[in-house]
Amino acid sequence: MLSQRLIGRAAVKSAFRPSGLPSIVPASRWRRTYATEAEERDLVIIGGGVAGYVAAIKAGQEGMKVTCIEKRGALGGTCLNVGCIPSKSLLNNSHLYHQILHDTKHRGIEVGDVKLNLKQLMKAKEQSVSGLTKGVEFLFKKNGVEYIKGTGSFQDEHTIKVQLNDGGETSVVGKNILIATGSEVTPFPGLEIDEKRVISSTGAIALEEVPKKMIVIGGGIIGLEMASVWSRLGADVTVVEYLDVIGGPGMDTEIAKNIQKILKKQGINFKTSTKVVSGEKTGDEVKVQIDSSKGGKPETLEADVVLVAIGRRPYTGGLGLEKIGLELDERGRVIIDSEYRTKIPHIRCVGDVTFGPMLAHKAEEEAVAVVEYIKKGYGHVNYGCIPAVMYTFPEVAWVGQSEQDLKKAGIKYRVGTFPFSANSRAKTNLDTDGMVKMLADPETDRLLGIHIIGPNAGEMIAEGTLALEYGASSEDIARTCHAHPTLAEAFKEAAMATHSKPIHF
Amino acid sequence: MASFAAACRLSARLATRKLQQEAAVRGYRTSAVALAAQNFSMPALSPTMTEGNIATWRVKEGDKFSAGDVLLEIETDKATMDVEAQDDGILMKIMKGDGSKAVQVGTRIAVIAEEGDDISSLEIPPEENIQAVKAAEAPAVYTPSAPEPESAPSPPPQPRTVTPKPGPKTSGRTYPMLPSVAHLIKENGLDESVIKNITPTGPNGRLLKGDVLAYLGKINSQTPSEVSSRFEKASHLDLSNIKVAKAAEAKKPAVEAAPAVQAPPAPVKSLVTLPVSLSAVIEAQEKIQRSLGVFLPLSTFIARASEVANDELPLPAGYQPTTDELFNQVLGLDKISGPKASRGSYIPQIATFPPASTLSRPTQKKVDIIDLLTASKPKSAQPSVKKTPVLPGASTGPNIFSLQVPKAEERRAQVFLERIKLVLENEPGRLVL
Repeated sequence: MLSQRLIGRAAVKSAFRPSGLPSIVPASRWRRTYATEAEERDLVIIGGGVAGYVAAIKAGQEGMKVTCIEKRGALGGTCLNVGCIPSKSLLNNSHLYHQILHDTKHRGIEVGDVKLNLKQLMKAKEQSVSGLTKGVEFLFKKNGVEYIKGTGSFQDEHTIKVQLNDGGETSVVGKNILIATGSEVTPFPGLEIDEKRVISSTGAIALEEVPKKMIVIGGGIIGLEMASVWSRLGADVTVVEYLDVIGGPGMDTEIAKNIQKILKKQGINFKTSTKVVSGEKTGDEVKVQIDSSKGGKPETLEADVVLVAIGRRPYTGGLGLEKIGLELDERGRVIIDSEYRTKIPHIRCVGDVTFGPMLAHKAEEEAVAVVEYIKKGYGHVNYGCIPAVMYTFPEVAWVGQSEQDLKKAGIKYRVGTFPFSANSRAKTNLDTDGMVKMLADPETDRLLGIHIIGPNAGEMIAEGTLALEYGASSEDIARTCHAHPTLAEAFKEAAMATHSKPIHF
Repeated sequence: MASFAAACRLSARLATRKLQQEAAVRGYRTSAVALAAQNFSMPALSPTMTEGNIATWRVKEGDKFSAGDVLLEIETDKATMDVEAQDDGILMKIMKGDGSKAVQVGTRIAVIAEEGDDISSLEIPPEENIQAVKAAEAPAVYTPSAPEPESAPSPPPQPRTVTPKPGPKTSGRTYPMLPSVAHLIKENGLDESVIKNITPTGPNGRLLKGDVLAYLGKINSQTPSEVSSRFEKASHLDLSNIKVAKAAEAKKPAVEAAPAVQAPPAPVKSLVTLPVSLSAVIEAQEKIQRSLGVFLPLSTFIARASEVANDELPLPAGYQPTTDELFNQVLGLDKISGPKASRGSYIPQIATFPPASTLSRPTQKKVDIIDLLTASKPKSAQPSVKKTPVLPGASTGPNIFSLQVPKAEERRAQVFLERIKLVLENEPGRLVL
């Protein structure tokens, strides 16, 4: 009966051709329609972002029959396609441009005409992105992961219906199902994102020309990174932040004040403790009304481009969670237990769409852990030990608790800092902005938090994370040999400063 | 070029080494990894290769070679291929000389040493080691011969890996001490037996600086465990105080992101109609009944036609691309997945006369697999979509096919109806055959 129908459909398709109808029926659809009859999969993953693809590869390595559904048409999710990766390409190259333009003469390098080729800058970014997403696709093949390009939604507790990107639909049945649908940009009420003049982070990595004036709503990591890129390329950038400090949650206040000073020197304007009341698009300009929360006159800022970077929210749209009765919390996060199970035990959830910081590496850890929970009954993620990095120049990185966290919790601590201006390598590099700051328990000397501003802070934080994971004291770091001359020596000296005294300061 | 003298020296060394080796075999032996001499086994030059012949060795015993040098030529059933060195080294001994036939992949064909090694003092590692590894890696390719008990490798000493995972109070330390701990212990002259009495509070029972300080009475004895319990708490996601969103709130994000054809709260509905003659369909229906003896209800034809006509309909007017689609456009990904057209979910209403709003329509009870496939489509956003009524005695004349759609979708609906007309009036038999 089935085969009969299939033939019928194919015949219908050919029946249309002579009649001159536009090709209604993409050939591939017919082949895929009945993929539903395939056997039950061990794991079906909705979402091919960092959480989803890592879980898929890990499950493949564990010998599970795994299917990953992704609607974007490219794997890697927000991170690889429109987040971490493309922004790092722009940050790196815009930094080079800015440095060649402003920071070569006193180093003894005289450069002729320096011109920006924004198209090529974007092309370099796209190449990095496509190389990496294709790399993930290759890893899928290598690990036997079935990859379906389409939009998945729950039909029932075990069946996922997929609207294929090429047209048509199929469905997949899984013993276990993993929700890894990630997050989306939180829109700013009253300012509709068109990705041309009012942009999100996605538009911010793909502007076609350098704006003359740019307003960034939200002084968190994404806002500051994008502000850096466009400010280096020549835009006059103003960052408007509601709180009195920039950097977003988790960043140590002292560090945040420091980086604000440094970024200000680089030419970025800041309006902290300032609320954006409303915004409107008029002609070529976008007007933003702001109001200082410290009392002051309301103001109107004008810019050609406004970046909305006030955060991200969990994305469960079109997933059909209501069909299977899965609940979200009041911030839209999928409710899970400590083993990532939803209230339906074979449906689990990891990454941005559930609890915890929205970081790619956190999602990655969870993805491995959730597969281990399914396969082996135990997985491990240490949420107290997840580093965060902001890729401005200099970079900011931290792991563990901040000074304000400790104060708030009434925990005693000891602080040790070391400035890069006293570090030999930073001095020779002529990049002396920044510092290393360590927080340790005053009695046991166990490290509680590490905060760094400085060139390469993002790489240096790995040492701090390792130290925290192993329960090290600041003395343990101080007694570990660090190569000379390196920036990492500042890390060691900060450790010395925490439990005794630094040598070079 | 290997000199004759070198060859002589080598043979002399081989003789001496033989003696040394015998002595060594009896004594303590480190694991194969620690030996500088390594077995070089027959490589698989293609995924399907299981054996090959050695044509010639290009490097002589005792000669040095650098990475990239051709070591030997191997003949397979398909071709003769060069085998290049992966690393610098010395060819210590050739086990399978020129012209060896049908050498199994994985069999030792030579022994190599690292550059600078005094090959006269090196022992030739036993082949079984390699074979065991190979067999484990590729059981399908290589079948190990019965191992000689005499040369079976003695189990390497493993003082560390056997110890069970230490609990919070175990003293079975299986790792080097943290530098601060080692320092404190030496500084205070604590000996091994005392260390066992110190309670470790670090991750996985690791002894920390604070533990030693507490033991020495330099800090409050409770502090290390207090700090530890804080860390333990921070290591988990805080899943306390979860506030479940109220049902309405929970629905909100889902509704917001419902793809493509999102209807405004109170959409202006419009009726799109098209007369379609079902005579061809009824003709086909009769023909099928005559020839196959199967009666196919009209609904089958119409459902099939709807499914075909629903494919790639033009987007509704004023279609707002989602943020994702904008992202993709920006990245140029819309060429891959862009919604220039989208699949519709229309099911036409059919009447032999123009539909009146008071007309009550029978709903279809019988479940057909095709209906299941198509009926899963309608979204809450399209309240107008109704089941196809079965029309047992439909007129052969023009029937009115109608769709009630939001204003913006008029063109989309029109295209749908035109297509359905085309399918039903021209060769409807093909829909079901």
